Order: sequence, then structure tokens, then C-alpha cells
Amino acid sequence: MSMIALRDVTKTYQVSKEVAVTAVRGVSLNVERGEFVIITGRSGSGKTTLLNLAAGLVKPTSGEVRLADVNLWSLSDREQSLLRNQKIGFVFQFPSLLPSLTVLENVALPTMFATNHKNRDAYERAARLLEVVGLSDKLSAYPRQLSAGQQQRVVVARALISQPQVLLADEPTSNLDEQTEQEIMNLFRDIHGQTGITIILVTHTSQLVAYGTRAIAMANGAILDA
Amino acid sequence: MKIAAALVIVLALVIGLVPQFTDCQSQGRALTLQNGSTVPMKCHWTAVAEIALAVPLFALGAVMAFSRRKESKRIIAGLGALLGLFVILLPTALIGVCASSMMLCNSVMKPTLILSGILVIAISAGTLITSERQVEQFA
Amino acid sequence: MNLGQFAWSNIKGSAFRSWVVFLCAMIVAGFSLSTVLIIRGAQDSLRLALDRLGADIIVVPEGAETKVESALLMGKPVKVWMPQENLGKIARVPGVAVASPQLYLSSLSNASCCAVSDMFMVAFDPKTDFTVEPWLKHKLGHELRLGEAVGGSYVFTPEGEENIKLYGYFITLKGNLAPTGTGLDQTMFMTFETAQDIARISKTRAEKPLEIPPNSMSAALVKVQPGADTRSVALDIMQQVPGVTPIESPDMFQTFRQQITGLLRGMLVILSITLLLSLVLIGLIFSMAANERRREIGVLRALGATRGFVFQSILAEAALLAVDGGAVGIGLACLATYLFRDLLMRSLGIPFLFPSLPSLVTLVGGGLVVALGGVTLAAFIPAYRVSRQDPALAMRE
Repeated sequence: MSMIALRDVTKTYQVSKEVAVTAVRGVSLNVERGEFVIITGRSGSGKTTLLNLAAGLVKPTSGEVRLADVNLWSLSDREQSLLRNQKIGFVFQFPSLLPSLTVLENVALPTMFATNHKNRDAYERAARLLEVVGLSDKLSAYPRQLSAGQQQRVVVARALISQPQVLLADEPTSNLDEQTEQEIMNLFRDIHGQTGITIILVTHTSQLVAYGTRAIAMANGAILDA
Repeated sequence: MKIAAALVIVLALVIGLVPQFTDCQSQGRALTLQNGSTVPMKCHWTAVAEIALAVPLFALGAVMAFSRRKESKRIIAGLGALLGLFVILLPTALIGVCASSMMLCNSVMKPTLILSGILVIAISAGTLITSERQVEQFA
Repeated sequence: MNLGQFAWSNIKGSAFRSWVVFLCAMIVAGFSLSTVLIIRGAQDSLRLALDRLGADIIVVPEGAETKVESALLMGKPVKVWMPQENLGKIARVPGVAVASPQLYLSSLSNASCCAVSDMFMVAFDPKTDFTVEPWLKHKLGHELRLGEAVGGSYVFTPEGEENIKLYGYFITLKGNLAPTGTGLDQTMFMTFETAQDIARISKTRAEKPLEIPPNSMSAALVKVQPGADTRSVALDIMQQVPGVTPIESPDMFQTFRQQITGLLRGMLVILSITLLLSLVLIGLIFSMAANERRREIGVLRALGATRGFVFQSILAEAALLAVDGGAVGIGLACLATYLFRDLLMRSLGIPFLFPSLPSLVTLVGGGLVVALGGVTLAAFIPAYRVSRQDPALAMRE
């Protein structure tokens, strides 16, 4: 059973009455448990849309999306949200920490939506994760007091708080300098090595494929290598 | 903080100026003694005494606008609350105003001072609370 | 962290917007409560004044109705007279149980012989009176003696003195009646005998003597017999006693009732406009906030927040601001209305009595409900729309 399975998935956006844009066309993809897949492609190749489809954040125009053998779009909004909360961790390209919460509160935030008692000891777990990513001295800081690299490490910690099975990262290093980019990628590799978590990472930097176990290239909404 | 400071300054002006126009002296009323001479009623002395509170309150508001340190905010809050308390006590317990509800000093001056005093105390309490929550920032 | 704490952190994160919503809630709640307090205070006051008068019908000289109402309600002294013999005629009208005469007098203005200026004085006949006498029997245990008086709640003996000086005559204040919020609170009540004594003494000791026309009275208070129709009795009085106007108790203070109704209408119009503008402003603010936080909300959805959570968190923000702002507005309204009640009475020209604590608690609760309901209603549509947006689209730039 694949961890994530996309079967002939297409996503078309109706930009206006006359104009429709197909971001992903007829993509089929199986990601096995424990894989570290790096998807590369230029801007507009459809890689972010593919990631959002895999996460159930956007509904496919046609095709099926399965996570741990569950058809995402057969679920209600509540069930989907719970699934995302428990099984998927997100690392976004843009600064995604909530500015009004402290670093510790940001990391613990996903536990607020959990209904299976994973919100117990949330702050202790958050503190431990921040230690893993090297930010144990920043618990009561606010995001505006951190550098871009530090913020991204907090996001990684937040992505792991619910002990997800899948980590989805959308261009997590695009706003970072080279050294910080390496630090973040090393962090992903370490987490993958230590926990065996399935990772799908999207990037426009082809040099980063060396960090993964499999590389996929996309162009014009389709996968070039499967 | 600057908004709180502005409010304190406005209240200081109210406390200092309103009584000057609402005491019986300003309405042309005074006590006539047996020898025929007139002396001001006690509401006039309350109005004069309020100036002595309004001036330091005004200065306090000005200092409040630029205070950043936790310790100075605490002191300002304490002083503000004390001044606010005396603003209320002067027309009620310490000196007083005319007893008749028909007099302007009783129907306008006294309630204005009580309300202003309460607001000064409330702003001081708010300043103290926010200062306690403040994480000390060192330059 | 729970929903409330999350909402509170968002409130702190957008200080300016939160303050605007807070101020709107404060103004709406405060103004609503002030309106209700003033109108309710005026109505309660009228009711108490009528109860205090205790009469089913008040008979006054023809054309003097408004002046007498003004005197009783606002404490503005009045001098109206009618022949004393009218009392006998009134008492003989079928259906009349008791008819009691009253004299309406006033102290001098700015005179050294009077401790208070322009105070309304009412003299009554202890043999027939049924308004003050019951209170005297209950509180003092005896009738008023010569030189004694009772006052409304605002009448007092000057500091350092033992008596109140009126027209050079020293009156002993024996007690104060409960407040009514009307001119009755500034009225002094004495017997006919005391009033005549003051008039006699004032000829030599006062700057101007107290003039009481002989064989005259100002008004007659009438109690009808049980089972008798007040309207018929009033009509009979009008027909059988020339030169008088009988005013039935429910029709009493009509001028002021109309004034209160007019005031209520005006205040309701202003309140409606304020409420509408505030709700529109709050709705706009929450729409703006929802728009600015689209990406943040998309992230929340990606992290596992349901549509319901997003909706509830925005409404929770609205509710917190509504309750806080509403509470401050209500507190200020209560304080200001209580402190400035005398000024309110004089500037609006209506009687006013601050409500009792249980009534006040109910009104305060109502005010908070108005604030809460209004603000959350204004935030409802923006909250619903933003909770429905596509998370992926929301996160796009």
C-alpha cells in the first residue's frame, strides 16, 4: 500500500469565463512509506498544485487522491481536517508562523485541532522538538524576533508535533541563503534518517535532489520522470 | 501608552479647569457674613485645591508618554492612582461642595470631578497591569 | 491553548482594529443603557410621584394644570388659588370619599430671611390629608406639631444649624420622605397651621411677607369611593364646581409623559443610527481582517483546523471584544447617569430616579446582550465567508 497515491489526477482552474488553466494534467504518482521524494520543476510547472492535491488542500478536477489508502475526497471536511492534522506535516515556502503567538505556541498550535488526546503535554513535546531543531533558547520569542532560517526551523518543528506519517514541504528553502538552505536540508535528512517519515519536498533547485531517495521532474503540469 | 498619557493630560485639564467655571463663585454666589462682607463658599476652595492636583497630574501625563521602563511605569501608576483618589476626596470628604442639589457645584462640578478621578485611577491601574506583563527590554 | 486564548492572541496581534471594535461596542452598549436608564428612570419617577400623591383626582384652578404638574414634578414653585368653598362642593359630589385641600407656597429668592431660595412648600390639612399623614403615623408616630415640617429627600437642615429658616421663621425638619426623582424630593410639607404662623411672623421678620389669600386653597386632592368610576366623578366635579379642572391620576403629568415619549423617540432614532453605523463599521473591519489573514487562515486549515473552528475563532474574537467593550461602556454609562442625574433632570426637564440594584443588574445584563449580539452579528458574514474559502487558493499570493 502506497503512503500517497495519485491516480490520473488533473486540476484545472477557471481563471475567467473564457480562460481555463490546467495546472496538473493526468498525473499518476505512488509514494511509498519511508521515501524522501524531491520534485523539481520551474515556476508554473504544477509542483505546488501537485503537493496541495496530495494534501487534500485542493480538490482535483478529475482523478483520485489517496492517503494511507483513504480516498481523501470521500471524507467530510471535519474528517479531512482531522486526517491532515494527524497524518500530514506542512512546511511552507512563505513565512507561515502566526505573528501573535510565541515560538512555543506556534509549534504546539496543531495540537489545538486534535481530538485524540494528542493535545496533552503539547507544550512539553513542542519544547523537545525545538531542542531538536536547535532553538530551545527561543521558546518565548515571537516570530518577528527570529531570522528567516530560524523561523523555518520552527515551522519544521511544528510540522512534526503531531507525529505525522507524511511531511510535505513546498519550496522550504527558496527564501533562504545558501548556508541556511543547507542547514534546513540537513535537518530534513536527519529527521528522515531518524524517524523514517515519508517526505515529499518540492523545489526549483535541482541541486537539492541529492538529499532525497527519489527525484521527480515536472513540467507543464506533467511528470517527466516517474 | 501614549494614548493613556493623552487621556491623563485631558483629564488633568478637565480637573483643573471645569471647577473654575462651575463653582458658586463663578456663578456670582458667595456667603454673606453678619458684618456684611462676603466670603467664597467651600466649593470655591475645592476648585482651587483641584488645581493643585491637576498640575502634577498634567506633568505625570507628559512623563507617561515617554516612559518605557517597567519600574517608572509602576511609579507613575501609583502616583496617578493617588492623585485620582484625592481628586475624588476633595469634593466629597475633604472640603466638599454646597449641599443643595440645585447648585451647579453639586450637579456639575462634583460629578465631573468624581468621574475624572475614577478614570484617572482606572488608567493608572491599566498602566500598572501592562507594566507587570512587560518583558524588560534592555537597550 | 483553547479557542478563547487563540482569539485573544489574535485580538492582541491587531491592536488598532481591536480598539476600533472595542470602542464601537463600548459606544453602542453605553448609549443603549443610558437611553434605557433615562427613560426607565423617568417612568419610575412618574409612577412613584403618583403613588406619593395618592389621589385619584387632583382638582386645580382652571388653566393651572400645567403649572401644578410642573410644581409637583419638577419642584418649580407655583402660586395658584381657588376659593376654599370649592372644597365643600367637591366633597359633596357623589362618589367622592375624601377631599383634602393643599396650599402651594414658596420661599423667597436670594433672601437672607430664607435659608433656601425658591423652595416649593406644600401645606396640608392634617384632618383630611391622606398623602403625608400615613407616612407621619408610620415614621414619627404622631402628627406634625406647630413649627414642624417633613421634606423630600433633598431637603435638609443647613450645616451647623438646628432649624431651617423660612421668612424669618425657624422650622424643625422632622424627617425626609423616600426619593421619587421628582420635584417632590425638593418640597417641604407642613400643616396649614404652620403655614399661617409663618405668614404671620413674616410680616415683621421677612424681607417680603408670605401672602396666603384668605379663604383660599391651591388644589384639592380627591379619593373616590371604592367601586366608583373615577371618570364619572371627575366629570361631575367639572360640572358642579365652576372654575376648576379635575385631573385624573392616570392623566396626570401628561405634558411630561409627552416629553418623555418625544425624548424616547429622539433617543431611539439616534441609537438606531449609532447601532447601524457601528455594525457596518465592525462588519467592514472584520471583512478587512479576514482578507488580510487569508493566508494565515489557509495555514490553519492546512494544519487541521476545520471550517467550524475558523468560523468560531473569528466570532470568539468578536464576542470577546463585544463583552469587554460593552462592559466598559455600560460601566461608564451607569456611573455617568448616576453622578449627573440632577443635571439630567434639569436639562431634559423630566423627572428621573436611578433604578434599584436588581433592576440595574437586569438592565446591565440586557446591555451586554445587545453589545454581544450586535458585534457578533456584524462579524457573522465575514466569518462565514472566510471559513468557506479554499485553503490552497487562500495561501497563494
